[in-house]
Amino acid sequence: MIKRLLYLTSRILRADPSLVTVQARADLVRLILPVMVFGSIYGAVMGSYNGINAERLVHMLYAAVKVPILLTVAFAISLPSFFVLNTLVGLRDDLGYCLRSLIATQAGLTIILASLAPFTALWYLSFENYNVAILFNMAMFATASISSRIILRRYYTPLIQRDPRHKKMLNAWIFTYGFVAVQMAWVLRPFIGNPESPISFFRQQAWSNAYVKLYEIMCNILQ
Amino acid sequence: MIKWFKQVDSILRGDATRMEAIKDGQVDIPVGGIAVVTVLLCLIYGICMGTFAASSGGDKTQLLASAVKFPLLFFLTLLITFPSLYVFNALIGSKLKMTSVLRLLVASVAVITAIAASLGTIVVFFSLSTNSYNFMVLLNVAACGIGGILGLTFLLKTLHRLVLVSDPYLLDLYTNKQKQITEPINNDTDAEIIIDENTGLAKPAASDSDEQIRSALDTYGSRTDQKAKSVFKIWVFVFSVVGAQMSWVLRPFIGNPEMDFAWFRTKESNFFQAVFSALGNLLGL
Repeated sequence: MIKRLLYLTSRILRADPSLVTVQARADLVRLILPVMVFGSIYGAVMGSYNGINAERLVHMLYAAVKVPILLTVAFAISLPSFFVLNTLVGLRDDLGYCLRSLIATQAGLTIILASLAPFTALWYLSFENYNVAILFNMAMFATASISSRIILRRYYTPLIQRDPRHKKMLNAWIFTYGFVAVQMAWVLRPFIGNPESPISFFRQQAWSNAYVKLYEIMCNILQ
Repeated sequence: MIKWFKQVDSILRGDATRMEAIKDGQVDIPVGGIAVVTVLLCLIYGICMGTFAASSGGDKTQLLASAVKFPLLFFLTLLITFPSLYVFNALIGSKLKMTSVLRLLVASVAVITAIAASLGTIVVFFSLSTNSYNFMVLLNVAACGIGGILGLTFLLKTLHRLVLVSDPYLLDLYTNKQKQITEPINNDTDAEIIIDENTGLAKPAASDSDEQIRSALDTYGSRTDQKAKSVFKIWVFVFSVVGAQMSWVLRPFIGNPEMDFAWFRTKESNFFQAVFSALGNLLGL
């Protein structure tokens, strides 16, 4: 089981073309598995801020559940518009390949993220500051997303060579997905878990807007 | 029902508006079926829009109100702008029939609503997770704006094709021009590429015009009927402005949670003022 999972991760990271062929359609479910497993691993580590004790374990579990939710639900929410836009610009025939590439990239992203988990653990052991811990995790997510673009580029290069419209659609996807994922991350917080607030799956008054908050913070800094 | 959805799909794919498909001067689609699907898509987006008021403590009736009013918005906008489109279309001397213009409009509205409905998931997600009314106003304007821009681009490009096929002279010009473009390239090596003059993107050379132009948004022909095109462009502008203002007249769609539910609000201000004030409020200006 573990051996097969490791084999699969190496195929994903190397952007194995056989993962996204039409014949691989049935294997698609298998690509979801790494998202769940590795997403949970990073989530658990992310939730281990401020040490591990019985109370903290609950929060680690929450975070482990929430990271895969964050990635898959943001993906699902952005999907319908990607589908319609691709159809409209005449790229519907390639849609299957595009989707398989995007899912493989998503799996790649979580694998990279999990590989960065030890750094997060070390950071937690070394530094106390909660706000800096948030920033560090944001940096890890950013690193994983940017690195996963390598996989995406490998899969998309033949497509873009064939039809440059794919590049525009890809950019539209990255924008939409990013736009949704940022808000999703905001809604699903706490991931790291401020030790001063009680442990809960969702934070009280979590329902607000990431972009409005971001703007307010920026205004505060500038004033 | 599934057949109608497939028809909408063929419009989106561009199959229904290829040069071969519109040879007889009109988009060959079942108008009634497309209209039903369009209304359904409108209902979906309307519900997505109303989610904000329903989820942030407002009246749940807003869901119903938005679902009913969103299809109405398109119907009334068409009602207001269709006569002038028909008149101007006749004025520029195009041979388009009224029925074909109408069919095309239904198809375009289908495209607009399909895009809006596909963005509905994002709108619902933000509706549920946001408490900023101004943000929701802008997000909905953006979603409808994207749908509108793409749908009206579809309309313009297809009108252009329809004008082309309905006029033998223009069609002849177009086919000749196409030959001129493709012939010298066919003599050269395979590596030659054509630069699409509208998008500026390189395309693989192909003698078959339909293989070269694949989507519903691509332009056929060239500058032969600039005049017709500019009339349509003006009309599209009018359509957008009327549509925007109509959405203001039919408001509330989103439903400010601080205000009581009402089917309609009193006459005041206009769409553009409201959008700017939402933007201003959001940025704290």
